[in-house]
Amino acid sequence: MTKPHVNGKRVLVVDDGMTTRLYYRDVLETAGFGVEEAVNGVEGLERALMGDFDLLIVDVNMPKMDGYEMIAQVRVDPALHEIPIITISTEAGERDADRAYAAGANLYMVKPADPALLTETAQMLTGVEMAR
Amino acid sequence: MLSATATPRDAAPALTIPAEDYARFCDFFYRKTGIMFGANKTYFVERRLQERMAATRSATFRDYFTMVRFQASGEEMQSLVNAMTVNETYFYREDYQFDALVRHLLPEIARTRAPNDPIRLWSMPCSTGEEPYSIAMQILENWPQADAFSVEILASDIDSRVIAEARQGLYTARALHRLTPSLKSRYFTAVGENFRICQELRGSIDFSVVNITEGLAMRRFRNLDVIFCRNMLIYFDDNSRRRAVEALYESLRPGGYICLGHSESMSRMSSMFRPRKFGATILYQRPVDND
Amino acid sequence: MPLIKARSHDADDDPVAPDTAGPADADTLLAAATASERRAAVHALEDSVDGQAALCRRLAIEPSASVREAILAALIRQRSPAIAAALLPLLRAEEAPLRNAAIEALAEMPDEVAPHVEALLADPDSDVRIFAGNMLGVLPHPRAAGWLLTALADEHVNVCAAAIDGLAEIGDPATAAALEAVPARFPGNSFIDFAVRVAVRRIGGC
Repeated sequence: MTKPHVNGKRVLVVDDGMTTRLYYRDVLETAGFGVEEAVNGVEGLERALMGDFDLLIVDVNMPKMDGYEMIAQVRVDPALHEIPIITISTEAGERDADRAYAAGANLYMVKPADPALLTETAQMLTGVEMAR
Repeated sequence: MLSATATPRDAAPALTIPAEDYARFCDFFYRKTGIMFGANKTYFVERRLQERMAATRSATFRDYFTMVRFQASGEEMQSLVNAMTVNETYFYREDYQFDALVRHLLPEIARTRAPNDPIRLWSMPCSTGEEPYSIAMQILENWPQADAFSVEILASDIDSRVIAEARQGLYTARALHRLTPSLKSRYFTAVGENFRICQELRGSIDFSVVNITEGLAMRRFRNLDVIFCRNMLIYFDDNSRRRAVEALYESLRPGGYICLGHSESMSRMSSMFRPRKFGATILYQRPVDND
Repeated sequence: MPLIKARSHDADDDPVAPDTAGPADADTLLAAATASERRAAVHALEDSVDGQAALCRRLAIEPSASVREAILAALIRQRSPAIAAALLPLLRAEEAPLRNAAIEALAEMPDEVAPHVEALLADPDSDVRIFAGNMLGVLPHPRAAGWLLTALADEHVNVCAAAIDGLAEIGDPATAAALEAVPARFPGNSFIDFAVRVAVRRIGGC
């Protein structure tokens, strides 16, 4: 399933939409990231705890546990609190971004995320040397 | 299960179901149950699907899949889950969770527990008793502080026959296959070809028959520190599962833990618990402060 | 011997809501000080119609996740047209947990939700249409794929994206043509392009 790691960095994509997960996977794998998926915030926490990730990409609206709550829990977990997090949401309002930052996100993007911007941001947050 | 004649597609080569359909099914099943099938399980999964298709007289896989998804009663989904989950019980099964118990959970609980306030553990469902007895052995053998604390082990099942067997404590050699010779000699005596667990352990575990979805019966189970609830919730329909998860939450002390089976995940059932990692396993904690 | 046999407990100290709770004090019971008392109140109230109305009111303001989950489970068990109607306005809630809880509960009551779907898909608020699309992807209703086709024609890209995602899960080959027509409406949108390809491949339309 997964292509071989090229840049050695691992990303966890947490989104309840299958096509969205597969899209981020496609974009990030093309850029050399290793990618895993989770379908809600609880599963996101489980995977993050087990997986040794360099970056989390988290949707806001998900069943069981939403993105804000998941991010807040990541930020208080001693094993996870330093992982960079990108929130990507359908909501373009300023208060949505504020809420994500308040929960502990490093960056807020609005869906659909531009692939080049997503790649660059992921590289920046994980310390990957950008392509020439 | 079904005989070869009842499953006409038995002799067909693996993956008679189109690959895209198979992938969709795996996604669906995963989302509903949290059970993910690896590539090495393809043959097993397809065989079980073919058995269920034959049992429901479905002409094509798509017909069957439509029924599983849209049947209002959810009955076929349940039959499918039952077919996909093999339930075999023996001593020290999935013992990495018992390791987590003695290495991480009990020491954590002991830090704040008065020695005269018992630590309470519950094996539910306990089937014929292998799990609660395994927990007892693990504590006696591997928790250095065992002598300084009182530990109560409760064990329950909905099935009165398995509880009667658990109280008897008589097992075949097969149930003991994961135990070292020294554990066998310390805790069992041979009875013909079988083995009986020692009176000391039998007398220390409180066995009972209980239905987790009956509120009144469940009020007996309160202030538990750890609940082993492995491979039970996946057999429930959605409503019973929600009821059961709530009942488990009420049974735990704030800060108490639930251990689920290795293929189960709370992420499909509830957001009330906080996943925590201990060694190689994820356990689910009732929040300390949320009461 | 550290193992001691448990003694049977009478859980008389359990919080129990009085059986005689009338509608007038349902809201008071649900506003009890501890989450544990409030969960007990949920179970005491869920069987009566007035109690259910109180549960719907409480859901909108309940701060504790465990009580919210108990309320949702009760509302799903007791599902009724009145409960579905009371949950629908929560799709407009500011709080993400509340919105998502409402979507989850509504998806479990397909017959009760069905009469409202068309209005949801025509709502002037695009967020409501997006949430409706999310819900339809997991709604066990024979008309779900048809409603998703309606959402697919929506002008808002994220409503469309929700519909594509839903159809990838539950669409049949007959929906493939409508899916394939979508990318032309959003030129240069690589996500829509990609999602449509995934959906069409998964429903076996090519």
